[in-house]
Order: sequence, then structure tokens, then C-alpha cells
Amino acid sequence: MRQGLAVLIVVLACALPAMNAQEIKLFDRTIQVHGFASQGFVHTDQNNWLTMNTSNVGSGQFTEFGANASTQITDSFRFGAQIYDRELGQLGRWHPQLDWAVADYHFRRWLSFRGGKVKTTMGLYNDTQDMDFLHTFALLPQGVYSTDMRDATLAHYGGDIYGTVKTKKAGDFSYTAYGGDRRDSLYGGYPYNLQMHGLYIQKYGGPVVGGDLRWDTPVKGLLAGTSYMYEMITAHELLNPSVALGGPNILTPSLEWSKDDFVNQYYASYSKGNLRVDSEYRRYYRDQDIFSGAFEIQTDIRPWYVSGSYRINKRLELGSYYSHFIINGNINVPGQSFSPSVSDPDRHLYDKVVTARIDLKRFWYAKIEGHFMDGYGGYYYPDGFYPMVNPQGVTPNTNALVIKSGFYF
Amino acid sequence: MKFARYLLIAIAVVACLPLKGYAADVKVIANSSVSSSSVSADDLKDVYLENKDSLGGAHVEPVLLKGGAAHEAFLKTYLGKSDSLLQTYYRSLLFSGKGSMPKALGSDAEVVAYVAKTKGAIGYVSAGASTEGVKTLEVH
Repeated sequence: MRQGLAVLIVVLACALPAMNAQEIKLFDRTIQVHGFASQGFVHTDQNNWLTMNTSNVGSGQFTEFGANASTQITDSFRFGAQIYDRELGQLGRWHPQLDWAVADYHFRRWLSFRGGKVKTTMGLYNDTQDMDFLHTFALLPQGVYSTDMRDATLAHYGGDIYGTVKTKKAGDFSYTAYGGDRRDSLYGGYPYNLQMHGLYIQKYGGPVVGGDLRWDTPVKGLLAGTSYMYEMITAHELLNPSVALGGPNILTPSLEWSKDDFVNQYYASYSKGNLRVDSEYRRYYRDQDIFSGAFEIQTDIRPWYVSGSYRINKRLELGSYYSHFIINGNINVPGQSFSPSVSDPDRHLYDKVVTARIDLKRFWYAKIEGHFMDGYGGYYYPDGFYPMVNPQGVTPNTNALVIKSGFYF
Repeated sequence: MKFARYLLIAIAVVACLPLKGYAADVKVIANSSVSSSSVSADDLKDVYLENKDSLGGAHVEPVLLKGGAAHEAFLKTYLGKSDSLLQTYYRSLLFSGKGSMPKALGSDAEVVAYVAKTKGAIGYVSAGASTEGVKTLEVH
């Protein structure tokens, strides 16, 4: 944590004088350069959360930063790229990633194209969920935007067509349709979670298609929409059968693959003056063959949330949300099963959150946030609680304090 | 569920609070390369929200003020967003690779000077500001 804080301070000290210098000229071309960094601290009253040791003093293994550059090649053609790196307990672990690299051609308002590594348009915040400075909350509603599972939907290598169609009286309709390939980081929540079963992912991803349709309604400030994604994911793994299957202590190649794998999402947002209210519902269903087809597991995640935020003045914004996460499923591995009732703590995770965001300077902010969690969602789907950092087991309720500070330019 | 109910009630109460009214004392200006002499409010909003990059067949580039009464009036009248929501909107586009950050300048005089020298630039200034070297667009 000290290292992360030192890096943040040094970078901040260097960047502050240049906060307004966001354009550079190179060979007669204007290039916009922007960046961000944040450092967080998490303390929980019990249970270790998000792969950090949070239940003693707390953990500062909660650091991220990124930078981008972009330029307008012609009036209609733009190109840019962004790199990103983070440490979140056992996740990320300082393995920098290409966050996006996009060539974007604007043909008409109703038809444009972009391709490369593209942030996936889904719901209100999928494509910006890793940009802390954009949001009121230090952690977005984790049922829908789980920080440890964001590789599942964050970006695709491929292309989008998109546009906006205006109507005379029915508002505007913006669409995005995409196709491509998903390639997950090996340092995300799903690969980490599989280690408890003796599985070590070597490669994870596959083809993905989907779309989003959002309606800027005739009611001023009201937006509604729906998203859909379908994917066929394959994981190439090394399996140690002695960990979960009672077999020998060796490493052997293993595969898992999707048989049916989709996401449905519905969302709405209302803003009036300094008030904003959001709500989203997501269904993530996955039917997959595991252990090279020897067994099968289905998981059916149905989270939703309602959030509100209000900007009191230039410096202070307050927010709150209720996040509701439920997991249903079936598994035919001997000795494994889902608990019978949603009221069991390993079948749900309900989170009540209150937040204050303080904008200390124009590009420097801080957040203080309380989480009051009921349940932990079990171990069949990564949802913040992992047995590897909770060897004594997980108790049903967790209260957490999250403090974060960051800057952007 | 009780928590969610109380949250919704609190939001409904705040949503009913009256907002400060604004007079539209702002005028829209453009570089002489922009052939149109008028612009619809819808098109103006689309240009500033980066849904549209041309007017009358010519490429346009929106320019903002950093703050002040004219800036607040323009946002309220034509974009329906507060400054913080608008900045968040631009940054959402920029940092997700789906847009760019428009130029923002500190005063009416700076906006007029930039619009005058930049092909395709459109901006807004106080109703009483000098607009020498640029054309004023009627918004309908």
C-alpha cells in the first residue's frame, strides 16, 4: 500500500502543473493526452473482501491508473488508445493491459463504425466501470458491476456499428451492434476463483456478439435501454485433481466451455438538475461443461440495483444505492451443490451503500463509502468473497468502509 | 427492501424541489466557414453531445466556456445537463474511446477569438459580448 501511495503522490506532483496541458502537437497534428490514478483503502468488520486482507487493520491493495492518447486523423476519422493497470488484492497484480485501442469512423449520425479493442456498450456503466473518477461511488453496485468479474463484459476485440436515430416526437434511439472476441486477463476474479478447485487458467475467451438500444425519451432527463450479449467461451487450464477431485497431485491439461452463455440487461436513468437516479437489472446465465466435459454447471445470476446521487455544491456529492444479487444454479460434481434457499447467505448478497464524494480541486477527488452487506453469494461465481483469503469460512454479514482518492487530467 | 423504499421516497422528495430559473441570455456563434445562418436546438444539442459533427454539410467543432452565467444558461437551455453531468458525459466518451473532449475556454473573448480563427468552430457567448469576426447563428 505504501508503494502505491508513494507512486500516486509522485505522479500527482508531476502531473498537477500539467493538468491543463492536455493537448500536444506532433508533426502538425493535435494529440489529446489524458490520464487518471486512484488509491483506495478498505476495512471490513469481518470477512476479507475483494481478495484483500481487509478484516484486520484493512488493506490499501486497491490502486489503479491509466493514460490515453487520441487524435483526429480527418474530420470523420479518429484514432486513440488507452493503457490501464491495477492492483486489487490478488487481482490485477500490476499486469498492464491495453484497455482499448480504437479506430472510429463517423459516417452519418445514424451510422458509424469503430474497430480494434473496443469497450463493450452494455447498460449504463459497463464501458466506464473501471474509470473511478467518473462515478459518485467508490465501488459501483457490485451485483451488476462486480469489480472482480469485469473482464466478463468489459471489452471485445472486434468492431461496432452504431448510430442515433432521431424521431419527431418519440425521442432519440441510439443503437450499438458488435461482434468480436473476448480475451480475459489471467488476473481477474474468475481465474482466481477457479484456483480453489485446482484449476489454473492459461487462456480464456471466445467469440462474442451483442447489442444495445437506448432511448432518450421525450421526458427530459429520462433514458431507458436494453442490452444483450451472447458468447461462447473456452478456458484452457491446468488441473491439479488432488485439490477438488481426490485425484493425484499432478498438473494435467483441462478444458471448460460454454454451452449456453448470455447476458440480458435493462436499465433506466433519470437526471434533473443535480439529482440522478439509476436502476438496472441484469441476467447472466451460463451453462458450461467443466473438467474437460466430465461435469456440468449452470449458473443463473440475477442482480439489480437502485441508486441515487445528489450534488450538494461544487465540492460535495452524496449518493446511496441498494444492490440485490441472487445466484441460482445446478452442478453435477459429486459432493457439490447449491444451497436450497435464496435466503441462505451463500445464495444472495444484498448491499446497502452510502457515499460522499468530495471534489477537492478541479481534477482531484476523494470518496468515503460505507457498505452494509447481507450474504456473500457462495463460491460458484466470483462475487467478492473468496475462500482462499477466508480459510476460516465466511460469516453471513459484512460491513465495510471504503476510502478512495484519485485524480484525472 | 425497507432501505430501498426509504431511498426511493427520499429521491422523490428531492426531485420535487424547485430549480432556479434561467433566462436564455446567450448567443451561438460560428466560424465563417459554417454556411448555415441558423441551427435547430436539436442539432445544436447533438453537436455538443458529439452525436453529430456537421451542419449544412460542413464539419463543425463545438467549443465551450469553462464556466460563468452564459455557460450555465447554455447548458440549461440547450443541453439539459448541469456542468458536472456534462463534464462526466464528455469524460465517459473520452476514457472509453468513444469520443473526445471539446475545447473549453475561459472567457467570451477567448471563445470569439478561437471561433474566428478555427474552421468549423461553433461556440456560445454572453448575449452582450462582442462577436467581431464570427457569425451569429439563430437557434430555432
